[in-house]
Amino acid sequence: MVLAALAWAGTAEAQVAQPGRLLASNCFQCHGTNGKGPGFDAIAGKSVGEISKKLKEFQAGKEGDGIMTRHAFGYTDAQLQALDKWLSTQR
Amino acid sequence: MDRRFFLSSAAAGAIGSALTACGGGGEPALEAAASSNRTPTNTTTTVVAAGTAVKSRVIVIGGGMGGATVAKYLRLWGDAISVTLVERMPTYTSNIMSSMVLTGQRTMSSLSYSYDTLRSKYGITTVFGEVVAIDPVGVKVTLANGTVLTADRIVMAPGISFDAVPGLGTSDKMPHAWQAGPQTTLLANQLKAMPSGGVAVLTIPKTPYRCPPGPYERACLIADWLKVKKPGSKLIVLDANPGIVTEVDNFTNAFMGLHGNVIEYHANAEVTSVDPASMSLFTTAGTVRGDVINMIPRQRAGTLVATAGLNNATEGRFAGVNVLSYASTVSGAGKVHILGDASATTQPKAGHIANQEAKVCADAVSRILSGGAPDPAPVTNSACYSTITMSQASWLTAVFQYDTATATMKGVTAASGASTGWNQDNFQDMGQWFGALMGDTFA
Repeated sequence: MVLAALAWAGTAEAQVAQPGRLLASNCFQCHGTNGKGPGFDAIAGKSVGEISKKLKEFQAGKEGDGIMTRHAFGYTDAQLQALDKWLSTQR
Repeated sequence: MDRRFFLSSAAAGAIGSALTACGGGGEPALEAAASSNRTPTNTTTTVVAAGTAVKSRVIVIGGGMGGATVAKYLRLWGDAISVTLVERMPTYTSNIMSSMVLTGQRTMSSLSYSYDTLRSKYGITTVFGEVVAIDPVGVKVTLANGTVLTADRIVMAPGISFDAVPGLGTSDKMPHAWQAGPQTTLLANQLKAMPSGGVAVLTIPKTPYRCPPGPYERACLIADWLKVKKPGSKLIVLDANPGIVTEVDNFTNAFMGLHGNVIEYHANAEVTSVDPASMSLFTTAGTVRGDVINMIPRQRAGTLVATAGLNNATEGRFAGVNVLSYASTVSGAGKVHILGDASATTQPKAGHIANQEAKVCADAVSRILSGGAPDPAPVTNSACYSTITMSQASWLTAVFQYDTATATMKGVTAASGASTGWNQDNFQDMGQWFGALMGDTFA
């Protein structure tokens, strides 16, 4: 998995073939580049589904009325899953 | 349960600071010079270059929030591109948080960022100097020393420039302090020297300008400071717009309620000329005099945009761009990309979203240079905190999705809005947000 990612990284194609990466980069301003901090809670390297589940909980109002509760509504379910999946690869 | 999963407050992270919100593009960035060396020393990037190569070349002009981010991500997201960042100043001074220099809560040096990490970690070549000409068709940049750089693409992130204020001339009596630097220090000193019971004035230009909530949060911050340091003083806010332009509930409540005994707000009051000798502003709502005047002029893209002939939007003030790639919409100039405060889009002009526009641009340029097409459905976001007092803040956020029907970035209604009121937790979060944002941009 990690090896595969590394093997890719040097090619021009790699720049195109990473679904979810550009979407996930919306998180980096507050959670650090690649979601690895410094910043608010680390979001990289979680199990697949964990981040999208959390974001759905924000949408459902289960996490208070902070900035993420509002922000979570900005993404479609498919987008949440795509960024979740990409972030899960960042270990 | 884990309420802080995303937004932890940072008891531990109180590392230092009290800070203010909103952000800027890289202004004095533009015009710069270059060396002929455009082979980055690729020290850290993980990757072994596949094929040796002739890399594609991108010149980034301007090292503010947008320019630094696009340079970083062009390198982070692959090794197929060499990046030369051309910038006037050897260090960047953050506009975000700079209003807190006015209240003595931050120092200028705490807002200073170098380009060292962009060089050492990402292999970006930096050139500090002045660009004097851009050939958008031939994709060439001419520097003050006569050097001509060529590239496959040019990305411009030159921030803003100001309209001349009739009557102001070169006087330093009415600083804008809207590009952090000497003007910030000047205004801070003028406020400090103001007598108690004095009158300060802050002017807000017509939209679009850099950092929509910025002038209002600055007004709140100064008002709170005046109460403590200059009792009996007044702050007159002259807004060229028909009303408060953003975060209306919070700023209305703060202006009318919390700071109602200090702030006097006037809508539809546009400055038409000034007289520094008598410290007078002549406005569409009459003449106003002040002991200290923070005159924020109307804005346009950094001057290089007009020099290159790319100021084709907003009545010639800003650059029209395709928001899938930030390529110029001027015919034949499609190999020049303009992002951040200098471009005309539906997105606010501010540092946090300039960072995201830069990632969209970096991704698009990478795809284009490897024979592909930009992501057809980019998303961007804006977030910031506003100082309502010297220790309490509100927040404001928005998410934008690409809308194919209008070819614009369209705000997602449910995801756009402000906090209900303000508090100390938000103020702490503001410090953490600022640290994270600057890290994602410069480190």
